[in-house]
Amino acid sequence: MTISDPSAATSTADTRPTRHESFLAYDHFRHLKWATVLVLFAIVIYVAVRPYGTPYGGGWAGYTLGTIGAFLILWLTWFGYRKRNYAENHGRLAARLSAHVYFGGALFFVATLHTGFHFGWNIHTLAYALMCIVIASGVYGVFTYARYPRLMTDNRDSMTTVQMLGRIAGIDDELRSATMPLDDATVAVVGRAISATAVGGSAWRQLTGRYPGCTTAMAIAHMEAHASEVPLALQEPWRLTRLKLSEKETLLARIRSDIRYKALMEIWLYLHVPLTFALIAALTAHIISIFYL
Amino acid sequence: MEVEVTVLTRRGAAVMHRVQRASAPRIGLGRGTDNEVPLADIRVGLHIAALVQRDTGIGIERIGTSPMMVNGISVEAAPLKPGDEILLGPYRIEILAAPEGCDGAIQIELTQPIGPALERLTTTARIGLERTGANKRVYAWTGFVVIAVVCLAVPIIFFSGGMMRPWHKDATGHRVAKLIGLSWNPGQFSNAHRFFAAECATCHQGAFSRVADTACLACHAKVGNHVEHGIKLDAVGDKLDALACVDCHTEHRGIEGSLIRTAGLCLDCHRNLGETAPAAGVRDVAGFPNGHPQFRATLVADAAKGTITRAELGTTPPPVDHPGIKFSHAAHLLPGGFPALHYKEMVCADCHIAEPGGQSFLPITYKNQCERCHELTFDKVALPWPDAKVPHGDDTGVIAAVWNYYAGLALQGGATALGAPASPPVERRAAGLPPPPTPSPPPADTQAWVTAKSTVALRLVFDERRGCAYCHYGMSADGAFETDKILAAALPPKANPAPVVAPVSLRTRFLPQARFDHASHRGMTCEDCHASRQALSSDEVLIPGIDTCVKCHGTENAALRAQSTCITCHVFHRSEFGLMRMTTGTMQ
Repeated sequence: MTISDPSAATSTADTRPTRHESFLAYDHFRHLKWATVLVLFAIVIYVAVRPYGTPYGGGWAGYTLGTIGAFLILWLTWFGYRKRNYAENHGRLAARLSAHVYFGGALFFVATLHTGFHFGWNIHTLAYALMCIVIASGVYGVFTYARYPRLMTDNRDSMTTVQMLGRIAGIDDELRSATMPLDDATVAVVGRAISATAVGGSAWRQLTGRYPGCTTAMAIAHMEAHASEVPLALQEPWRLTRLKLSEKETLLARIRSDIRYKALMEIWLYLHVPLTFALIAALTAHIISIFYL
Repeated sequence: MEVEVTVLTRRGAAVMHRVQRASAPRIGLGRGTDNEVPLADIRVGLHIAALVQRDTGIGIERIGTSPMMVNGISVEAAPLKPGDEILLGPYRIEILAAPEGCDGAIQIELTQPIGPALERLTTTARIGLERTGANKRVYAWTGFVVIAVVCLAVPIIFFSGGMMRPWHKDATGHRVAKLIGLSWNPGQFSNAHRFFAAECATCHQGAFSRVADTACLACHAKVGNHVEHGIKLDAVGDKLDALACVDCHTEHRGIEGSLIRTAGLCLDCHRNLGETAPAAGVRDVAGFPNGHPQFRATLVADAAKGTITRAELGTTPPPVDHPGIKFSHAAHLLPGGFPALHYKEMVCADCHIAEPGGQSFLPITYKNQCERCHELTFDKVALPWPDAKVPHGDDTGVIAAVWNYYAGLALQGGATALGAPASPPVERRAAGLPPPPTPSPPPADTQAWVTAKSTVALRLVFDERRGCAYCHYGMSADGAFETDKILAAALPPKANPAPVVAPVSLRTRFLPQARFDHASHRGMTCEDCHASRQALSSDEVLIPGIDTCVKCHGTENAALRAQSTCITCHVFHRSEFGLMRMTTGTMQ
C-alpha cells in the first residue's frame, strides 16, 4: 500500500475507530461477526460429524477443532504481545484488541467442543482449565476496561496522580506549621499522619482500597476525641489542623480509589499473562502426549 | 543565666550562623514558642529540655519523655562543658566556650530535616502492582517451565527410561511413574484394561507409533479369524491381512469397551463384496436397516441325508424346514391346556429352556420336552411292569424291547397260565381318540403267542395316531410306516434289523451368521416375534425376518430406535475360522 493509493487510504480511514468508539465495536463489529462464524462452524461439525461412541478430541472433527483451537491460542498470544506495542497507530491497536477479545471468546467454544465434554485429572484437562482461566480473566479485563476508566476520570476530578500527591504534600506542610502550638500527644499523631502517609502499598491494599492503619484517620479520631479539651488559646491552630486533616483525608480517599481502579485494571493481567505461558506449555504437552504414545 | 545561642543552617556549601542570646533562670528548649530556645520541628516536644546553671557551669535536664543523649549516652541530666554534644530529636547541639558575659554558649543545627514533602510522599508511596514485587514475566516463565518439565519432560524421561513397565512385571515402587503416566491419559480406560492401565508401556511399546498388534496379541493370541484361512479374497483379502487391531479397537474411550462400533468399518468391505470378493459368498450390505438384505435362515433340507440349505425369510411362499418330525406348535398351545391329561395350558418356556447364559435355548429332546406327556408305555395291564416303555431314539430296539417284554411275561407263566392274555394290551393313545380295534386271538404256542402279542403291541407303537408315526416319519418314500412289512421282517427279532423311523434333525440356530441374545429381549413375549400359535407344522419357519427387527432396531445413530450396528448381531472374530493372527502371543 502506498500513500498515494486513495482507495487504501479511504479504507484505513473507514476502519479506524473514532476517539469515542469502543474497540468492541471496531469496524462495525467485524471481528465479532467472524468469531461468530467460527463458533457456528465449530458447532456444525461437532453436531454433524458423529464419531463412534461419543464425540471426543480425536476423529477428523476433533482434530479439526483442536487444530483451530491450538492456532487460535498461539495467534491470540501473538496478538496479545503485539497489541501492547503502543508505538503503533491507534487504529491497528484497536483492531488487534477487538480481534483478541472476540476470537478469545470464540476459542472457548471451539476448545470446549474439541474436548467433547470429557474431562479428567490429566494434562489435557489442565490445558483446558488454564485456557478457561485465561479467557475468564480476559473477559474480566474487558469488563474493567469498560467500567473503571470512567470511574477513574470521575474520581480524579481533572487531577493527575502527581498533582494529588503534590496537594497532599502541600497539606502536610500546612499541617506541620498549623499543629506546632498544639500539645505533644496531638502533635505526635499529626506528625505520624504527615510522615507515615500510606499511599498504595501491598497488592491487597491497592486492590481493596482499605487502609486500616491510616495515620490520617487516626489523627482525626484523636482530635475528635480531644476536641473538648482544647484550651481557648489553641482553638484556632486546633481548628486549622483539623481542617487540614479533613482535606488530606478527602484527597487520600481520592488517590486511594484511583490506585484501586488502576490495580483492578491490572490484576487480571497477572493471571492472564502468566497463565497464557503455562497454557502454551500445557498445550504443547497435550499435543505431544497424544502423538507420542 | 544567659546563654549565647548560635543557630547553624547549611544550604549546600554555604553555612549560615544566626546568633542570639537567651536569658532566663532556666533556658527552655522545645517546640513551644514559650521556650527561650524554640526548636521549630514537630518531631520535637513542646518542652523537651532546659539548660540550667550549676555550680560548675551549665548543665542540661531532660523534660518530658523525649529521649536526650549527651555524648552518645542517654541521660536525664548532665553537666556540660565545651565540646559536649547533645542530640535532641533531629537537632544536634554543641556546647561552645562561653563568650564574655555569658554563662554558656550552644550551637544548634537541624541535622535531620524533614525534607521536601512531595519527594517524601513520592518515595514512600507504592502505586501500581508492579511495585508490590509481583512480576508477570517471572510468573509466566515459572509456570511455563514447571508445566513443561512436570507434564512433558518427566513423562517422556520416565517412558524412555522404561519406568512405565508392562503390568506383568513387578511394578512396585513405580507409583510416581504411574501417576506421571496417568497424567497423560487422554480418557477413561475400558474396564477390562484398567488393571494395567497405569503402565503405559504395556500397550505403547514405542514413541510416536501406533499400538502394535503384538501388544494386543500378548493377551489376545487366540482371537478368531474373520474368514476361513486360504479363501481367495483378492484385494479384500489383502486389506483384511493389513488390518491392525487398533483399526477396530481403541482405548481411552470410556469404560464400556475398546471396540469401535461404527458400521463404516465393516461396510468398507461389505458394501460391494459381491464384486470385489465373490468367493466370500456374502451378499452386499449398505447399512442397517436400510441396505441390509433380508435374513437367510439355515434350514434342514433333508434330515435323513443331513443336508442343510439357506433360505431367505419373508418370501412367498414361505421357506420350509424339514426337520423330519411332525410337530404342531398350534396344537400344543391350545387355550385351556389339556384337562384330560391334567396338564395346564402350555407356554413356550415349557419346552424351550434357556441356556445358562440366556442367549439361546437348550436343544429340544424327547427326554426333556416330550416324555412327560408322551410316554412310550404300551401295555400297562398285561405286563407285570407298570412302567414298561419302549426306548426312544432306538427304533430298531423298540421291536426287540416289546418282544422281550412279552417273552418275559411268557417265561413267568403268563402264557401258560392264561392260555391267552386275560385282557387285550392297554393301548397308548392320545386323549380323546377312539379305542383301537379288538386284537386277534392268541396263538397256542409260546413263541407264536409272544409274536402275536408283540405284533398287536407294535401296531400300536408304530400307529400314526398313537405311536411313533404320530410324531415321526417312517422309512418309506412317502414317510409312512409300513407296519405289516416291518413286523413281518422283524418278528421274531433278528440281528441287524432295518431302521424303522426316519432320522430327525432339529436345528438349535437358524441364523448362525448372526447372534441373537434372547436374554436381552426378555422383556418381550415370544409371540412378539414368533407366530407359534398359528404354526400347524414343524415345517413352518418361525424365525422372524428383518421386518420384525426393524420395529425396534434402527441405525447406529438412531434416536427413537435401539441403536444397532453390525456387531450388534454379527461377530467379527469367528473362532471356527482359526486364529486371526498366526503369531502366537505369550504372556510376557
